[in-house]
Amino acid sequence: MFATVLKLVGRRVLAAIPILLVVSALLFCVLRLLPVDPAAMSLPPTATVAEVEAKRREMGLDQPLPQQFLIWLRDVLHGDFGRSIHLNRETGSLVGATLPATIELALFAMALAALLGIGGGLLMFHARNTVFEAIADLGSILLLSIPEFLWGLILLFVFGVTLQVLPFTGRLSPGLPQPHITGFLLLDALLRGRFDIFLSAWQHLILPAVALALAFSPAIMRVLRSSLFDVYHEDYIEQARMRGLSERRILLVHALKNAVLPTLTLAGVQFGFLFSGTLLVEVIYSYPGLGNLMVDAVRNADLPLIQAVGLTYCVVVLVINTAVDSLYVVLNPKLRVR
Amino acid sequence: MALKLQRRAFLQTAMAIVAAASSGVMRAAAAGNDAVTIGWPNDIPSWDPNQRFTPDAQPIFKAVFDQPLDQDPQLNLVAHLIKRWSLAPDALSMAVELRDDVKFHNGDKMSTGDFRYTFFERIKSGTKLDTANSWQKVQDIVIESPTRAVMKFDSPAPTAPQWMAFLGSYLVPKRYIETAGLDTFRSKPIGTGPYKLVEYELNSRIVLERNDDYWGPKPKIARVTIQIIKDPSARVAAIQSGQVDCTVNVPVREVARFGKESGFAAELNPITRVILLQVRNDLAFADENVRLAAHHAIDKAALSKAFYGDAAVPLSVVATPGTPGYLPDFVFKYDPELARQYLARSNYGPGKPVAIGFATTNGQFPSDYDIARAIVAMWKKVGIDANLEVIEYAKYFELNRATKLPEATLYSWDNATGDPEIFAGYLLNPKMPFSAWKGMEVGQKVIDLRGVADYDRRIAGYRDLNRFAVESGATIPLLQSVLTVVRKQNLTYAKYANGWLLPQSMQWT
Amino acid sequence: MGGPISRSLRSARVLVALGLILGIGFCAAFAASIAPRDPAEQNLVATLLPPAWVTGGDPAFPFGTDSLGRCILSRLIYGARTAMTVAVFASLGAMIIGSILAHITGYFGGAIDWIIGRAVDVWMSFPPVILSLILMVGLGTGLDKVILAIVLVDWTRFCRVLRSEVLLVTGRDYVAAARLLGFTHWQTLLREVLPATLPLLITLLSLEMAIAVVVEAILSFVGLGVRADQPAWGQMIADARQYVYQSPWNLLLPIFAIFLTVTAFNLLGDGLRRTLDVRLAQSAR
Repeated sequence: MFATVLKLVGRRVLAAIPILLVVSALLFCVLRLLPVDPAAMSLPPTATVAEVEAKRREMGLDQPLPQQFLIWLRDVLHGDFGRSIHLNRETGSLVGATLPATIELALFAMALAALLGIGGGLLMFHARNTVFEAIADLGSILLLSIPEFLWGLILLFVFGVTLQVLPFTGRLSPGLPQPHITGFLLLDALLRGRFDIFLSAWQHLILPAVALALAFSPAIMRVLRSSLFDVYHEDYIEQARMRGLSERRILLVHALKNAVLPTLTLAGVQFGFLFSGTLLVEVIYSYPGLGNLMVDAVRNADLPLIQAVGLTYCVVVLVINTAVDSLYVVLNPKLRVR
Repeated sequence: MALKLQRRAFLQTAMAIVAAASSGVMRAAAAGNDAVTIGWPNDIPSWDPNQRFTPDAQPIFKAVFDQPLDQDPQLNLVAHLIKRWSLAPDALSMAVELRDDVKFHNGDKMSTGDFRYTFFERIKSGTKLDTANSWQKVQDIVIESPTRAVMKFDSPAPTAPQWMAFLGSYLVPKRYIETAGLDTFRSKPIGTGPYKLVEYELNSRIVLERNDDYWGPKPKIARVTIQIIKDPSARVAAIQSGQVDCTVNVPVREVARFGKESGFAAELNPITRVILLQVRNDLAFADENVRLAAHHAIDKAALSKAFYGDAAVPLSVVATPGTPGYLPDFVFKYDPELARQYLARSNYGPGKPVAIGFATTNGQFPSDYDIARAIVAMWKKVGIDANLEVIEYAKYFELNRATKLPEATLYSWDNATGDPEIFAGYLLNPKMPFSAWKGMEVGQKVIDLRGVADYDRRIAGYRDLNRFAVESGATIPLLQSVLTVVRKQNLTYAKYANGWLLPQSMQWT
Repeated sequence: MGGPISRSLRSARVLVALGLILGIGFCAAFAASIAPRDPAEQNLVATLLPPAWVTGGDPAFPFGTDSLGRCILSRLIYGARTAMTVAVFASLGAMIIGSILAHITGYFGGAIDWIIGRAVDVWMSFPPVILSLILMVGLGTGLDKVILAIVLVDWTRFCRVLRSEVLLVTGRDYVAAARLLGFTHWQTLLREVLPATLPLLITLLSLEMAIAVVVEAILSFVGLGVRADQPAWGQMIADARQYVYQSPWNLLLPIFAIFLTVTAFNLLGDGLRRTLDVRLAQSAR
């Protein structure tokens, strides 16, 4: 099994490299199309035209596009991802400061989505052939129709503005220090033994994570339900029934185990989409993660930052997809090769 | 199955209840007697206070760093790090005497060496700093003693004292920067101010602690947390829920609402910030009739009523009431009929509108986008068809440099000093990146005034200029901006006419 | 295709969905006649009024007014026009490009298949929201740019999903038979393959319209969508956020409009999927 997983990961990584290259080249080109002058933007407003020209030469902007790309590539291989024009900081450090926040949110949201999805899927299946089935089915379609950014706004309005029971800005209450260990607040708080920080971080994660979970769990629900339908046609279900096992046991122990595989695959794919969905949710909740960084960068036409953050999203999604595929191999004995 | 689900649901509900319950506990903990949390709309551009001029960042810089001169709430210049100063009659030099009891946060003693470093050596070394522009006239700073120095300018600098209390003029530690390096300074800044920086999360929060060795009056608040909340509605929610004790730049209607709620106080403070239209002297605005028509067509009182609760004073010149350059008796009328007449002279009208471009920011200052859209509608009624485009604030300079700005741009200009040079002298100066107007009838007057050393002559000159600029359609001032402040009722602060909200002036009563 | 059509029309979902879509489409098409006022007409003395049924409301503005005193109901109706225009044209564009390429690659296979397949892989490894944001920054704002951006991002979804279907159909006997009978490649594609993939295509089209409405709302919300003078639901939401404490309705009503439209398209897609008995690959929401 280990060998299969290694081979798979290895193949994926090798395949990912050209993809990343092409993606960054595309990004590079699209961004150069912008009617924006990075040289002018990185100088104070009173710079003369001559100074702008000099800066332009210094930044290598007078060179042909492919050459600029190669220079950028060379820098990247040396760990230099460019410098944000607007914030005047290394993009690498900016991404490093914000990525853990987004990952933490995405993981939390995914866990919730999985719980909701599996629970909901089981419920929907259990309600089959009853009057509730149609309602549940319709309900899941309605839920599917509310994208995460609408959920974000609705939850903010209901729980933040109207009921005022949960916070909806930032990651931590103002009075609390941020323990800088991994960047994952929940983990860091536990490592420091600070339950108050843990609780505050938890509270601040709830609304954005629930918004994401509500948006991405209906698909999981529906897939689990339909996989359960498929599984229930198999022989071993009938055999289990004949052995006298209760319906509940059949559903939870035997059917679920086999139906969960395609569900997990979908969940994995969903995770990729969920990760990119964090962008809007972060904007709505002023959550200092990658999404807010991206929106700021886009608004300021900060090319190096847009490039770095865009690539980061791609890399993360690629990593997620590879991890999901590996998990699939691990869980599915049929795919393992000696 | 149902049980499994129940268990899951129960756990989640329990967690949510715990979260909700403890949120109440959190709220109570925030309002301490020597700690304050402020909700602020923007992060600082960098901890190097000389690097980027950002009006919104000044109150934060003023907590950690000191300026050589300061202003009192009525904007009069007062001694600060500089004990005494005297500008030569020809404004070609300025002698300063610094205090001798000032220490940086790391214990280093402040001296004229730091003064020379900040206003001369740093700039000449080629580091990219915005102070390189404000202090470009400095030819040298002659050090006479650890507390006495003379600044020498290569051309008259009549507003040098004002600039000592203005954007970016903060004293930075020479020894610390030279030994530890600029990057370290930017991540662990050291100043002489009443507060020390103890924690900084980019785009998230700034935590300051009182500097107990401060040379000046000790602040009453020992710990200040500035939470960066970019979204106005999030700021409103934060003050509503008690997450912050004070916040600024909330929608004007919220001020009215909070004013009625017990436990809160809300203010609309007029400040020395002007909302205006920067206009070009060419393209469709080459025609003076069109420019004047555009100005007469704007109902400034209606804008103030709709977006600022009537608190924003309509302006006819590019200066705010109470500043030397203001002309209380000069009024540029709102007269849409007159506007139509002007347009008719150039054969335009509601049936045959003149097409212009119009740029605005969205969210740069409260109601900016709303004002722009309202103006578009007002112009449509008289025969001006404006194509509105939203730009980022930083893009204005880029477009200006490339002369690609549209005919009109909605602009907000802060002048914490109140001095007229820093209003019209910058906004209409064709040699500066802020002015879209490059016409020399106005431009030459502006350039000439910058060299006048005599204070009274200078002010009289600016008053004339302000009137002339408006009458020739070189600028379209709109309103005096207001700062919206919402705070807990028992938190007080000093009200500065330029809108500075200084943590060191706050206290709980 | 008489059978599938009559089957679809008997499905409750499809009927409800079609009803909703026709209703919204009606608003979009006849906005000028239905809307009580000009959506751009400002009333600076009547800003942020609540809906007529709340105290303080004015019957002249049934759903209230926004921060510039514009009638919310009128803006919602005209916003439907923006949303439907984007939905129809963007999804048609993505469908045309995606399905042409899918049919070509699935049918001919070989080098073309490999190249386009890799292109799709690269394209799809990019999170769609990020890509559309970046495209909008590069292209500039405006209705046509929004449509273009959506087409450029989403054609890959059509391509990938349809390709597997095309492969399946191409492998069938009657297609081989058509070739043996002497039909050219193009004739085979048009007469045999396309009709078989049509059901999936239509389902995907409906779902894509739902996605297009959401993307347009997102782009307008972030400020990179249609021009300022065009009413758009996303822009209405962005405006309403600042005044959420005074006028919650300004936020809730456009949210509801988006929800209704997206639900209608999703219902239609789901209904069609059932009646046309097609197995969709697990594609994006």
